[in-house]
Amino acid sequence: MFKAPVWLAGRRTVVLAAAVLAGVLLIGVLVAGWATGGHSDVTDVDGSQSAVMYTAGHRPVAPEFTGTTLTGARLNFSSYRGQVVVLNFWGSWCAPCRAEASTLASVAALYRSSGVAFLGVDVRDTTASAEAFARSFGITYPSVADPGSSITLDFTSAVPIAATPTTLVIDRTGHIAGAVFGSATYPVLTTILAKVTGKTAAVAVSR
Amino acid sequence: MTDVRVPETDPFDSAPADSGGPPRPGPGSPAAGPFGLADWLKWAWRQLTSMRIALVLLFLLALGSVPGSMLPQQGSDPVGVQQYFSSHPALAPWLNHLGLFNVFAAPWFAAIYLLLFASLVGCVVPRTFRLAGSARTLPPRAPRNLSRLPRFAEYATSLPPAAAAEAAARVLSAHGFRLRRPTAPAGPAGTAAPAGTADSGGGPGAGDRPGDPEEHWISAEKGYLREAGNLIFHLALLGVLVSVALGGLFGYKADRLLVQGYSFADTQSALDEFHPGRLVTAADLPPFTITLNRFDASYISSGTQRGQPSSFDAQVSYTAQPTGPVRSARIQVNHPLSVDGASVYLIGHGYAPEFKVTDARGQVVYNGPQPFVAGATGNFLSQGVLKVPGAQPEQLGFTGVFVPTAVDIGGTLESVFPAADNPVVSLIAYAGNLGMDTGVPQSVYQMDTAGMRQLTASPLLLRIGQSAKLPDGQGTITFTGYRQWVSLAITHDPGQLPALICGMAALGGLLLSFMVRRRRVFVRARAGRDGTTMQVGGLTRTDASGGFEDEFASLAAELRSAHHQAAQDQAAPPYVPATATPPEEE
Repeated sequence: MFKAPVWLAGRRTVVLAAAVLAGVLLIGVLVAGWATGGHSDVTDVDGSQSAVMYTAGHRPVAPEFTGTTLTGARLNFSSYRGQVVVLNFWGSWCAPCRAEASTLASVAALYRSSGVAFLGVDVRDTTASAEAFARSFGITYPSVADPGSSITLDFTSAVPIAATPTTLVIDRTGHIAGAVFGSATYPVLTTILAKVTGKTAAVAVSR
Repeated sequence: MTDVRVPETDPFDSAPADSGGPPRPGPGSPAAGPFGLADWLKWAWRQLTSMRIALVLLFLLALGSVPGSMLPQQGSDPVGVQQYFSSHPALAPWLNHLGLFNVFAAPWFAAIYLLLFASLVGCVVPRTFRLAGSARTLPPRAPRNLSRLPRFAEYATSLPPAAAAEAAARVLSAHGFRLRRPTAPAGPAGTAAPAGTADSGGGPGAGDRPGDPEEHWISAEKGYLREAGNLIFHLALLGVLVSVALGGLFGYKADRLLVQGYSFADTQSALDEFHPGRLVTAADLPPFTITLNRFDASYISSGTQRGQPSSFDAQVSYTAQPTGPVRSARIQVNHPLSVDGASVYLIGHGYAPEFKVTDARGQVVYNGPQPFVAGATGNFLSQGVLKVPGAQPEQLGFTGVFVPTAVDIGGTLESVFPAADNPVVSLIAYAGNLGMDTGVPQSVYQMDTAGMRQLTASPLLLRIGQSAKLPDGQGTITFTGYRQWVSLAITHDPGQLPALICGMAALGGLLLSFMVRRRRVFVRARAGRDGTTMQVGGLTRTDASGGFEDEFASLAAELRSAHHQAAQDQAAPPYVPATATPPEEE
């Protein structure tokens, strides 16, 4: 038994304080570590764990960008203002992108008459491969080349783009209304578009 | 242990009895009442901070890491996890529930290391206090019989005992000993007691028993740096723990392969691997952009060291912010680029042969570089695959070898030098279904040939500029050139510098505690018939490195000569009894 110096007389207090401190530390770290981004301004899209809608008033502003399309034309994203835009980050090397490509092509055709524009951002890719991809899946909307992921970087301040593909639905005021992380499926994409445009897929196709 | 009292509101009712049983209030506890919550907490804390539990936790931590190295992990090998799921459909979900595909982020793993952390902190903190107390204590009273000590010297002096003790105190104090005198008050450590207090009686409130007025002794101790070193070691150990925690919580690691002429932005989807700390998200990545303008690897071209690399130099341009100015920099091995709190290291390099592929319909379906990876041997003989999913009507794939300096040795191509002096590619072509369109992520370095058929029996050998027609009119492939690529590691570890400092401090403290000995010297002055008998005794706690014998001998000699000198000085002027005057003012 060691002799506690005078200034350590309250050993019991010290022990308890240490225990409480450790407990608080533990809980703090656990809460901070396992809190999985529970924004209150985001709701999951029905039937999907990787698609979200941003509630009106909490929608992040989509950044402006300019770029060169795969066919060599200059494209200024601000010229899309006033339309609902589906912005798809993809690459020809990316298997989930290939899986969703047909869906994107058909939904683009479905909503074209409703004033929904589709635009691709082709990341980490080469032109020849990207053009072959578009031919394979019958994609007719333009894509901006982003080999250095700089457009992706601009958007990560608004939306956490963790991987390719990511699909953003941007409303008429240039705010991001919905996001699909990973392969977009027909029901998820049409659900988001129905909410943003006010037109269901059935109505859109009947027009 | 038969009479264990269990409180009624005990939350630990079902606690296993083999853990030593709930403790009863110790003999020091004032209350003999029921065992309260505080007592339980105290007991749990004592268990947690015991060496046994710390060792058990350490073992569990090691055991818990095993599945992390045996099963594919979500963080480092998501494709492997997918494959495991498809090949073990029954087992994989269960393993996933247990977090075995993401071991290092699993709650149970976190529980182990947090408990271990708490255990270590709980062990080290009280020890630190104890050491701090030990570093402040005064030496013990001088033993009665100094001749029993390991080191002993005895001589006579004509000085009166009080003056002799005083002279000895002066010598020992000059040698940096911490002194204790018969009635020394428990004052601040290190200050010698005022002279001449030996026969001032001392009240009952003094730190020591009132000394025998005829008793003249000095206890001296040296080597408190040993305790200080021990203290530094323990505090630095805590510092290392905190630093590692800082790094684990707020640091991150990422990798990116970058081909010459290409650029990348430091954002999660553009990184090949991203391992964030617990309190870091992708949003914390600094938004820099790096372009690899040029990469030079030079190799020793002659002698026994031929082929060994002599330098690597990546010339990059970068922007710290998307709209910031473009700067240029060189990244070399051990010379990372520091940008916005992150360090970008050059950790690897290789060749990316460039191909142009046309399909059966005459469309260019691939035109660009494809990174190949060098094997462990063979002068950068590199392997890779080229997947052309856009080829029609059938997808095309190639497995290939890039030979930087090709020499035909007995019918097989070998690389005789790592630089690309005579590059040749060797390709085997496949056609069919690459399996990419189902959406399961694939590695760009591997090709699933299950749905493919081999087009060519023997490999196609191409030099730069050469083309080969694929059989069955499936198209052509041209080897158009090559580029070099570098592998960059982007790291941010806020705990790195603190960990280094604490690690060095821990080492220094440990060395100090090993090298410095605590040693005690006692001096007694006894009045005899003809003068004063001086007794000097000494001991050291640990004398592994030796040397105390000599130190004691020289100290004893010095004491003796000091007493001899003082006796001579005293013979000339009349003897003045020691007063409270500090010795220096004599």
